[in-house]
Amino acid sequence: MDTLLLARLQFATTTSIHFLFVVVTLGLVTLLVGLQTAWFLTGNPKWERLTRFWGQLYVINYVLGIASGIVMEFQFGLNWSGLSRYVGNVFGAPLAIETLVAFFLESTFLGMWIFGWHRLRRGVHLALLCGVALTAYASAFWIMVANAWLQHPVGYQVRDGIAHLTDFSALLTNPTLGMAFGHVVAASLLTGGMLMAAVSAGHLLRRTPDFLLFRTSLRIGLVVSALSISLVQGFGFAQFGPVGQVQPAKFGGGPERDAQIAEWTAQFGPGDYTPPTLASVGLGFMILIGFGLGCLWLLLPLLWRDLIIRWRFPLWLLLLALPLPFGTVILGWLAREVGRQPWVAYGLLPTERAVSAVPAGVMLASLIGFSLLLGALAVTNWVLLARAAARGAADPALGRPPAPEADDTPRQPVLA
Amino acid sequence: MELAWYALLGLFFASYFVLGGLDYGVGLLLARGGTPAARRDALTALGPFFLGNEVWLVAAVGILFGAFPTLEGELLSGYYPAVVGALAGVILVTAGVQLRSRPATAGARAGWDRVVVVGSLLAALGWGALLGGLLQGLPLTADGHVTGVGHLFTPFVAAAGLAMAALVALHGATFLTLRLPPAAGAATARLARRLVPVALAAVGTATVVGLLSDRVRAAAQQPVAAVLLPSALVAALLVARAALARRRPGWAFAATCAALALPVLLVGAARWPYALVSGTDPAAGLTVADAAASTPTLRLLGWLVLPLVPALLGFQAMCWWVFRGRIDGRAPVYW
Repeated sequence: MDTLLLARLQFATTTSIHFLFVVVTLGLVTLLVGLQTAWFLTGNPKWERLTRFWGQLYVINYVLGIASGIVMEFQFGLNWSGLSRYVGNVFGAPLAIETLVAFFLESTFLGMWIFGWHRLRRGVHLALLCGVALTAYASAFWIMVANAWLQHPVGYQVRDGIAHLTDFSALLTNPTLGMAFGHVVAASLLTGGMLMAAVSAGHLLRRTPDFLLFRTSLRIGLVVSALSISLVQGFGFAQFGPVGQVQPAKFGGGPERDAQIAEWTAQFGPGDYTPPTLASVGLGFMILIGFGLGCLWLLLPLLWRDLIIRWRFPLWLLLLALPLPFGTVILGWLAREVGRQPWVAYGLLPTERAVSAVPAGVMLASLIGFSLLLGALAVTNWVLLARAAARGAADPALGRPPAPEADDTPRQPVLA
Repeated sequence: MELAWYALLGLFFASYFVLGGLDYGVGLLLARGGTPAARRDALTALGPFFLGNEVWLVAAVGILFGAFPTLEGELLSGYYPAVVGALAGVILVTAGVQLRSRPATAGARAGWDRVVVVGSLLAALGWGALLGGLLQGLPLTADGHVTGVGHLFTPFVAAAGLAMAALVALHGATFLTLRLPPAAGAATARLARRLVPVALAAVGTATVVGLLSDRVRAAAQQPVAAVLLPSALVAALLVARAALARRRPGWAFAATCAALALPVLLVGAARWPYALVSGTDPAAGLTVADAAASTPTLRLLGWLVLPLVPALLGFQAMCWWVFRGRIDGRAPVYW
């Protein structure tokens, strides 16, 4: 096994795990802003309970988003030192902006939001959650700016073999950015909405006590996911034009691709410049599932007179469909990233030139170690999420009122 | 302009060691056992600050990537084992602290606490080893790459790792002295006083091993800083001891904060003007100016990021202000 393959496998594993958690983060935080705003405006305790229950799931899910995100950030330097050496002047800027302007604040706000219940004024507490949501979107935006640059490098000039930034605005108007960002955000809302609908469906099927609460979140989840799937499809198909133009080799044959490959062969020497078939297979399956999820619209009329709950089988459908959005985001990501091979920065830096000069044994140990670590944590996290979801909204730990007396009362039952 | 960015990088890494050091220090002290309620109190003391502390690392590496891309690549890949060890530790602590209270059984929580202890130890040893590795230089070849990882396995790097572990344990103990209710705080104050000599011995050992090592002596570009700053570190530890003896935990905490920030200053100042010192070929070293991104990138980041730094610091300060003081039965509990 060579270092290059191992490094690519490690990046694919980490990114896939990261993506599974951040889509939920981005989707759920948007819904949470809605729930907490409703609580703030109406004062109805139903909204507080919904915010606490879904907030608890959001915060549990967030853990693995950070953990895998930190590993990813370090991997650029650990395994891909060529990337920072040759294109770091341009590619590093959006990443630095993301960490400082977005993620730094997101984490600071979230810590205050988790511990701010019953301690901060309600308006401030809501403002903190809005801050978390805004910075989460900013994070996604800057990450997509960085990724879009790798898909289609713009706004740079190569001097002495190293790319230098010449026009930052070109990074923001990159043709591979706008629609892709919309696509990712819509997919996140879809995943968050479907998660909300599926968990609510589970409670309604089990006939747990909080009927009214889960009826509300089922309706919210279903409406949001139906709206989002149309956005996902729209932003998805809108990408074929611009991406096909700047990445002729991505979606299969044609004279443009042959011309491009001839150009690369002249410039970089002979080689295999077609992306692996995995990319197009992934794309095909993703589109198939995406069309299937369009059927969410068919469930909307069943909200009338709670038919969706009384018939029960639509609830089963929602519950069983939960893996689908997660599968599609991975397939879509594969289509975008594998379809860019053999380039790390399209037409500028071949992947093999970007990998670090680390011995293969060390790379293998790191791949196995981090995959096991993140894999085990991801599974544990899902088990904890499922348990917290199944436990219901009776008394989530998030936002629990403080114990009335610190020392006299038995502490364990209060804190358990 | 490079100097300003190098200083900002240093500020973020120093803040990470001071604040993240709290997380790992409190995490290490979970190894003492104690009742489930006592362990949970320690994590509640950390509570609202935990996420904000860890994020300094992400931001520091972000600055490293944006403003010093060449350094980022060679630093992280050149010190692979130390960075990977620290990273694994950070992941374990991050996941462990946030997830440990989600299961309700005492056994599962005790298991997660062990994860936090192991993670804290790994993170402290790994970051200490990285700082030690930076001080002893690395075998940079003329083309600016590092091959192999064997250069990291020296007594000095081991001593530096252990010194960092001792420093964060002391730092965590003084923090808990400030934050826990008075009775529990008095117990951690006694623990902190016992940890000061341990930290002094560990820092002293690392200094002596470093002075005896040819590679470390050769790598030091600014001998004055290389001698003064470890002395300042020892002085900070002595101040912490005196303050703890006089029951002034605030001063002791300020002193341990300085003790965790000083190693970053030492690494930056002792090797100036180099960002990476080559042990094999002095001319192959990477200077700060060469490591920095080109001017347009630095200018862009300067316009976009620098105006926001006060806001970043302001929101962190707000968090410390809102949740200031000792924890009591009214403190929100979540971790």
